[in-house]
Amino acid sequence: MGKVFVIDPAKCNGCRNCQIACKDEHCDNDWSPVALPQPDTGHFWIGVNETVRGSVPKVKVSYVVELCQHCGDAPCMKAAPDAVYRRDDGLVIVDPEKAKGKRELVEACPYGAIFWNEEYDVPQKCTGCAHLLDEGWTVPRCVDACPHDAIRFGDESEFADELGSAEFIAPERADADRPRVYYLNLPKRFVAGVVVDLESDEVVVGAQVTLENAETSELLQTETDEFGDFWFHQVDAALYNVYVEAEGYMTRMVKADATSKDCNAGPIDVFAAAE
Amino acid sequence: MGSAKGKTIVKGMGFCASAIGANVCSVDVDEEQDRILRIRPFHFDEKYGEDHFNAWKIEARGHTFEPGYKVVSGPLSYGYKKRVYSKNRIPYPMKRVDWDPAGERNPQNRGKSKYVRISWDEAAQTIAEEIKRIHDEYGPLSILVQGDGHGETKFVHGTHGCQTRMLGLIGDYTLQARQPDSWEGWYWGAKHIWGMDPLGQQNMQNNVIKDISENGDAVLFWGCDPETTPWGWGGMMASRLCFWFTEIGVKQIHISPDVNYTNAVHADKWIPVLPNTDAALQLAIAYVWLSEGTFDREYLDTHSIGFDNFAYYVMGGEDGIPKTPKWAEKKCGVPSYTIKALARYWAKHAVSIAHCNGGSFIRSAFAHEPARLEVALLGMQALGKPGANQFKFIEWSLFGMESVTPMPPSVEIPNCGPAFRGRQYSVRPSLIPKTMIPEAITNPPVQWYGHIAAGLPREDQFVGPLTFPLEGQERIHMIWSDAPCWETCWNGGNEMQEALRHESIEFLLIQHPWMENDCLFADILLPINTKFEEEDIGTDSDNGMWSVVYYEQQAIEALGESKSDLEAVEEVAKKLERFGGIYEDLHARMMDGGKTVGDFIKAGFENTGASEKLSFEEFKEKQYYPFPTKEKWEDLPVGLSQFYEDPENHPLSTPSGKLEYYSTALADIFPDDEIRGPIPRWIEEGDGHEERIDSKRAIDYPFLIVSNHPRWRVHANCDDITWLREIQTCKVVGPDGYAYEPVWVNPIDAGKLGLKTGDVAKLYNERGGVLGGVIVSERIMPGAVYQDHGARVDTIVSGVGGLDRGGANNLIAPSATTSKNAHGEVTSGFLVNIEKVDVFQLAAQYPEAFGRAYDPASGVVVDEFIVEGN
Repeated sequence: MGKVFVIDPAKCNGCRNCQIACKDEHCDNDWSPVALPQPDTGHFWIGVNETVRGSVPKVKVSYVVELCQHCGDAPCMKAAPDAVYRRDDGLVIVDPEKAKGKRELVEACPYGAIFWNEEYDVPQKCTGCAHLLDEGWTVPRCVDACPHDAIRFGDESEFADELGSAEFIAPERADADRPRVYYLNLPKRFVAGVVVDLESDEVVVGAQVTLENAETSELLQTETDEFGDFWFHQVDAALYNVYVEAEGYMTRMVKADATSKDCNAGPIDVFAAAE
Repeated sequence: MGSAKGKTIVKGMGFCASAIGANVCSVDVDEEQDRILRIRPFHFDEKYGEDHFNAWKIEARGHTFEPGYKVVSGPLSYGYKKRVYSKNRIPYPMKRVDWDPAGERNPQNRGKSKYVRISWDEAAQTIAEEIKRIHDEYGPLSILVQGDGHGETKFVHGTHGCQTRMLGLIGDYTLQARQPDSWEGWYWGAKHIWGMDPLGQQNMQNNVIKDISENGDAVLFWGCDPETTPWGWGGMMASRLCFWFTEIGVKQIHISPDVNYTNAVHADKWIPVLPNTDAALQLAIAYVWLSEGTFDREYLDTHSIGFDNFAYYVMGGEDGIPKTPKWAEKKCGVPSYTIKALARYWAKHAVSIAHCNGGSFIRSAFAHEPARLEVALLGMQALGKPGANQFKFIEWSLFGMESVTPMPPSVEIPNCGPAFRGRQYSVRPSLIPKTMIPEAITNPPVQWYGHIAAGLPREDQFVGPLTFPLEGQERIHMIWSDAPCWETCWNGGNEMQEALRHESIEFLLIQHPWMENDCLFADILLPINTKFEEEDIGTDSDNGMWSVVYYEQQAIEALGESKSDLEAVEEVAKKLERFGGIYEDLHARMMDGGKTVGDFIKAGFENTGASEKLSFEEFKEKQYYPFPTKEKWEDLPVGLSQFYEDPENHPLSTPSGKLEYYSTALADIFPDDEIRGPIPRWIEEGDGHEERIDSKRAIDYPFLIVSNHPRWRVHANCDDITWLREIQTCKVVGPDGYAYEPVWVNPIDAGKLGLKTGDVAKLYNERGGVLGGVIVSERIMPGAVYQDHGARVDTIVSGVGGLDRGGANNLIAPSATTSKNAHGEVTSGFLVNIEKVDVFQLAAQYPEAFGRAYDPASGVVVDEFIVEGN
């Protein structure tokens, strides 16, 4: 089974403790033979992909932690079988001595998780803090520093009941690479807005809002809350039709384009129906 | 390997300073190589079993919240190794190259001239001679001590104000009095409606989190960012509470101009409001409640006075302007339909308000008004009823008060007071409000009301007028600072730059670990340690889990020639002794009869209840003692529930004991004050401030700035941490490779101005300009721009009308205080304009400033300022 990482962006507050703890562990510290020192800046053995989503006033920021996937069938191992090895616990390690000069390893990783160290002429990446695990630590530094268990580490069996719904950061590569980093709640799209009767200058509470996927005709429904707001979270990237129905008002439909980014459909002005 | 673990010691990595510890961390040290290996979360259960803790638990709505045993602080704490080993550490004592105490002092060159290395012996001797000369020529009150503010939290070694222990024994000094900068509006305003000494924020917070968990529907985060502000002094419990509210369905509504870092991940609703226009929004909410009869009239009858005066004003009786949602919309930028929806939601639900200090809401012109209005609104919905209080995500043991924590409290808030050798007093006979320092230096006398020390009772605001200098005394001729960040942290920094160059200042002495901000104006600089180079004691009662007292071993030898703040003052004391007379035996006297660091640590320990549980030797061996959860903590009265239930027997500390919608004290004592009058109001302009979008100045400076507590610093601390600076929201690398302080601009404004992400822009008004790296972002509403405060000053043109490359926007903040009788800082919510600049053209125009030795990873480095040294 071996060790895996489980990452849950829904629990991430974007604090970067993981990124900073990694640097604290590896910059200026030589953990040979597992890893040479990491350069002070520019390497993100663990990093955070930060995205601002939506528009005023429907804005969210998502943070997705990214690191070496410790693949079960690692492209880097294939590229340099002599220089990269897998430990018994499943962690994939770039051997700093044997990988010397092998700049091609940086390109070999489809996840952008291998970095080039100019000073030592060596490719480098996450080691899972193997040097600490070997001294009795149970988790790497990033996991220890996470305030919310947004990053967890352990035997795959520990997480068995959660991994059914898990995803991979690059699903199209998962079969080939068999990554050992599982993701829960990866951000998808949201469609949101506020329903307003501008003529009476009031939000419309309790309006029924229907989200229709323009391609599949799949429907989702919700009601506007006490602020007239509606939110559809974690929907697929798609073009949508938004239908707003409320008693005393004519039904309105607006288009919401969530194909390439999240969509604030804005204030949707509804008009009173004829008496 | 074999040495990966290192030797583990404990350090408090909070930044409050002044003996208010926080952020307890474990630190692993490689003793052989004398270096820090790592800084990491502290695990309470490392040396104590779970049965020690009487662990608390909050259960609500089928969910359970427990503290766990791991204390997680923020990245500022865990990245601090880079601050310790910063390239910008002051390596040895230095003297300004053209400052000659025996000849020309060239005050006009401060901030421009460079430095030469001198010995500790020469530095201490020169300082002692200057103090003696100043004493003889002008008297001791001519020495200004700037010995307050934030930074590393030490006990025996300071951080701030160690010099007061010495100067207090030889004729005293003039104190820079620290106004309540974290609480300005509440302090100067809210106190007059609900008392709540010492800060003006709700001081009875016990069990408020439990109450909201059980009874609350929503929390209003009004300019409040628990994902930023507590990092300096509290850690991640605040963040955990936000996740907890989400888990149990407590709605989190954010009201602020920006999508701050909490809003970004936790908010259920964001209501964008233009900077410092909250008062208009609040008045319109009151208007809706009054119009629709959706407030608690009965409660007000028994719990308040003067409500009718307030209602008369709201409905337009006083000035003919009803404070309708439409009226407010034009002022504050919130659609009137949203104002009505918010008012109706609030009237129907149990709503609390949360704060973290700082930001536009509380540090703008007339901040006393929104602070008072907030309480006025809470009162209209029966403040103190289940689920309806004000609470804070930080400062859960401030001033040792047991009532200010909304979390389950520990049996004790440990107080190591006897160990503390920093600032001795917060008030002295001769003082100057910190917000008035530039004027007091350049144009004395100055006058004001109150002793201006955070933590004094409400009545103190009425004492005065006080004057500097005291009658018959001289103006300031010497400054001794260990808090050299006035420029980038206070109000109107460009004026301060001019004040520090004023001819009346004959000697400017600064002691600090890093070459930054005001340091560049010093005549003599003393190199100071970080706490990793010192032995000390510490406490952390702000983590929300358990209070803890810890022994801080010295981690590494002092770097360079640095000494601790205390040791630096000791060096001066020893030299002064040679003058005899009042200086005789000065060193032993300042050390309370020749006590050692070890003696003070022991005295600190013995002042805590830990000394009843284990010996000093055991304490040093275990390195910490955690205080278990208080028995029957669940029974502590919730927040203001007792006032709610029985106001006669549980009165507030206002003159009437009730909510004072009309403050009789303000009416009596400041009858002519039209800005801070007896009832809270919308103030358009006045007392030196024209900072509204309707002001004439807005034609030239049409944007309101939001300047928050910085996400990736604590005020001016940590701006050189390389690992933080490469985070995308920390700095923006310009086309010239310089890492600029970010400025957020909404896409609508950016489009109009031709700005795009990565551009360098100038934020400016008539007080000067600062540069910033543009981030075009939906995280800021149109009409407002956002730039955190506290960036390291990197002067292009000095003084009023100047230009700063670092992005220290306090340089261009107003110098006028909150209002004429409220002496708070105004450092957010003021008018600016923004325009794109060509950095290469600026570099050609200002070759010296742009040619400074610069390390993109950490910023400007100390070498730039040294002309000799080896």
